[in-house]
Amino acid sequence: MDHKADVIIELKQVNKFFGEHHVLKDINLSVKKGEVVVIIGPSGSGKSTLCRTINRLETIDGGEILIDGEEMPSEGKKLAEMRAKVGMVFQSFNLLAHRTILDNVTLAPIDVLHKPKKEAQAEAMQLLKRVGVDSQAAKVPAQLSGGQQQRVAIARALAMHPEVILFDEPTSALDPEMINEVLDVMTSLAKDGMTMLVVTHEMNFARRVANRVIFMEDGAILEENTPEAFFANPKTERAKAFLETVTVH
Amino acid sequence: MSAEELLNQYGNEYVQALFTTWKLTAISFSAAFVIGIIVTVMRVSPIKPLNAAGEFYIQVFRNISGTALLMLVVYALPYINVVLSYFSCVLVVTILIPSAFCSEYIMSGMNTIGRGQFEAARALGLTFMQIIYRIVLPQSLRASVLPLTNLAVSTMLTTALASQVPMKPTDLTGIVSYINTHAVGGVTAFVISAMMYLATALFIGWVGNRIDQKVRILR
Repeated sequence: MDHKADVIIELKQVNKFFGEHHVLKDINLSVKKGEVVVIIGPSGSGKSTLCRTINRLETIDGGEILIDGEEMPSEGKKLAEMRAKVGMVFQSFNLLAHRTILDNVTLAPIDVLHKPKKEAQAEAMQLLKRVGVDSQAAKVPAQLSGGQQQRVAIARALAMHPEVILFDEPTSALDPEMINEVLDVMTSLAKDGMTMLVVTHEMNFARRVANRVIFMEDGAILEENTPEAFFANPKTERAKAFLETVTVH
Repeated sequence: MSAEELLNQYGNEYVQALFTTWKLTAISFSAAFVIGIIVTVMRVSPIKPLNAAGEFYIQVFRNISGTALLMLVVYALPYINVVLSYFSCVLVVTILIPSAFCSEYIMSGMNTIGRGQFEAARALGLTFMQIIYRIVLPQSLRASVLPLTNLAVSTMLTTALASQVPMKPTDLTGIVSYINTHAVGGVTAFVISAMMYLATALFIGWVGNRIDQKVRILR
């Protein structure tokens, strides 16, 4: 068996600079089908940037990014096609302000996958039900709470049947009481076998749901381990120091 | 002459002039709106020469006086064998200048759109034109209804340039010169035209407000 066939995201020697600042340093990372990989690290460690380079919302200055074994082009129609395979959930939800919740979920299936409108709407309603906001379908984003908007954003990503979903700090902009409703949806996705790459500060989520934890600092991956091993026994001093600052006693 | 005498004698001419002003305004604003959208798309497109062409267009037509442009269209175009009717000459000016402002207003409407929405759309695999058509234009147009209403009013006022050419039938400003060369209308002749401009402007403003309330985006 070729184990490579299972790899959905592969980053090889990826480097990125913001001017003089070296924000991603020789990043090597692969995510297999069905895996939940959580990236943690202090602010400014490059974890969000890493997440955003995967579907080329950020350009890279060196290295390769493969999705399903195919290199991600840097522009054009082919890039748009490949982006459709990679779902993304943002910190600030980024729902379209002028469209209803239902429209937000059906837009890409209709425009990009060319699904008939009826079919797209029926599926969107199922997905909205799955994330628990189907009763809000006719409203516009500003009428929903942050937690509800983020769940819509997850339904929107799911509607494209992506091979993997990237979560870029999905709960960082939420009020505390809304964090769990989003994490619950993410946990249930993970149980259903969705491949996920999650940048987060939610250590409990990492502990409970991740297959693998990646610790980043200063643009480099310092540790990569199972959550049990990482949280019980971090190898680097920096990881130890970081965990001490975030652990609730 | 009193207002009553003026209206008795020149009522028909005033009505014709009012219709001419309305016609010029409607055609100019519609065309300026379409051109304004096209130029805006050029300015934000990823193709550099199109950006430059769009910016050049804006700088030229935003910064030229209506009278100067009208003189060029009337007197210079015939040198390159383009001879337009006076009505069309006026239209060229009252389309080109407002179209530049239209693009500026749409651009400022675009700034109200959260950058994240573009990123989300790109991440979903939408192409540039789909993003323009689905997100950029609907949101920036809905955010710029009030400035565009002002533009419609100022386009109407710009059509007064028609009085500078011997156009038949003439517009609301031209009719005043006409009356004052044939009779003694004095300031009253102006006031009647001014009232008609004012009534039209109030109507445009009312329509603009209604549209704005209907399409305003909840944020």
